[in-house]
Amino acid sequence: MSGGLVWVLVALGLGVVVVRRRTIAVGLVTAQALLLAGSALNAATASKATAAVALATRAVALATLLLLVVSRTREGRPVRSGVAPLARGGVAVALALALTWLVPVIGLESRNAERGVLALIAFGAVTVATRSATLHQVLGVVLVENGLALAAVELPGGGSSVAIELGVALDLILVALVATVFHERIFAEFGAGDTTHLRSLR
Amino acid sequence: MTDRETLALAVVAAPALTALVAAVAPRRVVPAVAVVGAIASAAAAAALAAVALAQPAHPFIGRYVVVDAAGGLLVGVIGLVGLASALVSPAYLATASTALVRPSRRLHVYYGLLFAFWALLAAVPLIGNLGGAWLLVEATTAASALLVGFSGRPRALEAGWKYLILTSLGLGVALLGIVLLAAGAAHGGLDALSWRDLGDVRAGTHTTLVAYLLLLAGLASKIGWAPVHNWLPDAHSEAPAPVSALLSAALLPAVLLVAWRSSQALAPTIGRSTAQSVLVGFGLLSLAVAVPFLWLHLPWKRLLAYSSLEHMGVIALGVGFGTPLAIAGVALHIAGHAVAKALGFYATTPLLGHEPRAVGHAARGIARTQPTLGAVMGISLGTLAGLPPSPLFASEVLIVAGGFAAGRPWTAGAAAALLALGFLGLAQALIELLAGKARTRNRHAAPGLRGLRLLTGVSIISLALLTAAAFWLPNSDLAQALVRGIG
Repeated sequence: MSGGLVWVLVALGLGVVVVRRRTIAVGLVTAQALLLAGSALNAATASKATAAVALATRAVALATLLLLVVSRTREGRPVRSGVAPLARGGVAVALALALTWLVPVIGLESRNAERGVLALIAFGAVTVATRSATLHQVLGVVLVENGLALAAVELPGGGSSVAIELGVALDLILVALVATVFHERIFAEFGAGDTTHLRSLR
Repeated sequence: MTDRETLALAVVAAPALTALVAAVAPRRVVPAVAVVGAIASAAAAAALAAVALAQPAHPFIGRYVVVDAAGGLLVGVIGLVGLASALVSPAYLATASTALVRPSRRLHVYYGLLFAFWALLAAVPLIGNLGGAWLLVEATTAASALLVGFSGRPRALEAGWKYLILTSLGLGVALLGIVLLAAGAAHGGLDALSWRDLGDVRAGTHTTLVAYLLLLAGLASKIGWAPVHNWLPDAHSEAPAPVSALLSAALLPAVLLVAWRSSQALAPTIGRSTAQSVLVGFGLLSLAVAVPFLWLHLPWKRLLAYSSLEHMGVIALGVGFGTPLAIAGVALHIAGHAVAKALGFYATTPLLGHEPRAVGHAARGIARTQPTLGAVMGISLGTLAGLPPSPLFASEVLIVAGGFAAGRPWTAGAAAALLALGFLGLAQALIELLAGKARTRNRHAAPGLRGLRLLTGVSIISLALLTAAAFWLPNSDLAQALVRGIG
């Protein structure tokens, strides 16, 4: 995978940290997963092709599910996070740099891919920690999983196990399904998918 | 397929099949399906546990299935707690007034999820592969989060949401550790991550250590080890009582087994002492964080939740010490904790029927107004406190002695001091429970108490047998097999 593509994936991830609209954030993580799938499909090995199919299916299924939920739970106005977008972005970049400094060489096909993986994991964690909208928190988890998918695609020697790729995709869809059940109940209870209405998420 | 593989398949298939049938069966037969399914599932689990524990020196270690002493112990515990949880569920459902789903689907969803959770839980100790274990642990999150929020009350929604997001994020970190290990495997694929081949990864000592730390940090979020235990008190408090029992007595030790096996498999690369020190660190920190909460006048279920944090810390310490004495203590502790903790959670339904204010306040003077319920809760709390001659007293003595035997006197001494403080905190709660000033004059209402009497009788016998087992376990083949692990 080219260094440019890795940094496009990272930029899309940073977008998820800062954007306000849920639909845009869903679009960004979906684009990220589809780009990853395209990159894996481009590689010649059979296992990477299977990984690409699993990733693409997961991306489309999650996008469909999350956009359906967005349309069913229309918010009067976007849920405000307690942390400003610029501050969120700053914290995310700082955490990504700290992780890159702390974690030694992973052994992926390129150092750029390793930095990209760590950046996406950092962005996902910061999204969960600083956003109060329920769907944005789910997208934080998806962002982490996209980072791990990048790592799996960039593993030397044909990528990781097909069974694990498929299992991770299935697990993530299951978790997202359960999260949407909770989101809809929280929306019905409080009139907004906002975790600040819950007693204390953190 | 060997006999043990067939048995392992039955252990998982029985609850999985029951989940499917309970989800689609006519409403009036769902409780009967649950009872029959629970008995069949528990019988399969008991058979596997008996086979694995009777021949601990001869484990079956396949590529995808492992039937060893540790797995047998956990499968036995899961089967026992699963059966009891299914049997006490009608009492909970009869008293629950709200649900996450519409009333007509309540029974189907509850039992469908309960048995799906049971099936996934039972598969965790039997899977022969780290990658497969991760997938199963993540899947338990999906099934159990809905059960945590099953009442649909705002606090339950918060608890379920917190559990889902925090453990999913934590397991993401664990997956990064697994990817690091896979990157160092000589050949890719699921086989490279099997427990028996995990020690062959050539990722380098430094990278393997980072992978191990990430893996344990991620799993800690699911085990409920401090400092990533944030979800645990809320989830245990808000889940239906039978589910809280499964979460505390079965899920936490089952995921802990994954951490234990990873530690044993990676020890040749990163060093045995390093691998064990990480577990000791998590154990001591969990104990230190839990003990102050045991001194607070907490509502019953919340007190039991913080006691789970304490006991997962004790088990981590025992695994970390790694000597036959400590490991014998771990086996005893897992079984004794499961019996006592499940009994404590099952007492919640009659307790809240007897004294509704106990949902937000510490239980006081229950033995004065409802002696039977007070006795059940007292047996549970006394055992969890480690009151002699409970098996948890014996197991804690073994684990601390194992710490000294392992050449970690300071850690063992600190653990003993923290355990003594925890004991005093729970003893205070026990005195309040039995002899404190009662909040209610209602001497009769305690729904579900009749069924609980039978379970209490079985629990007392089990606890007595476990205490007796403490005398032969340290020098037994079972303890040696547990120390050896899968390697």
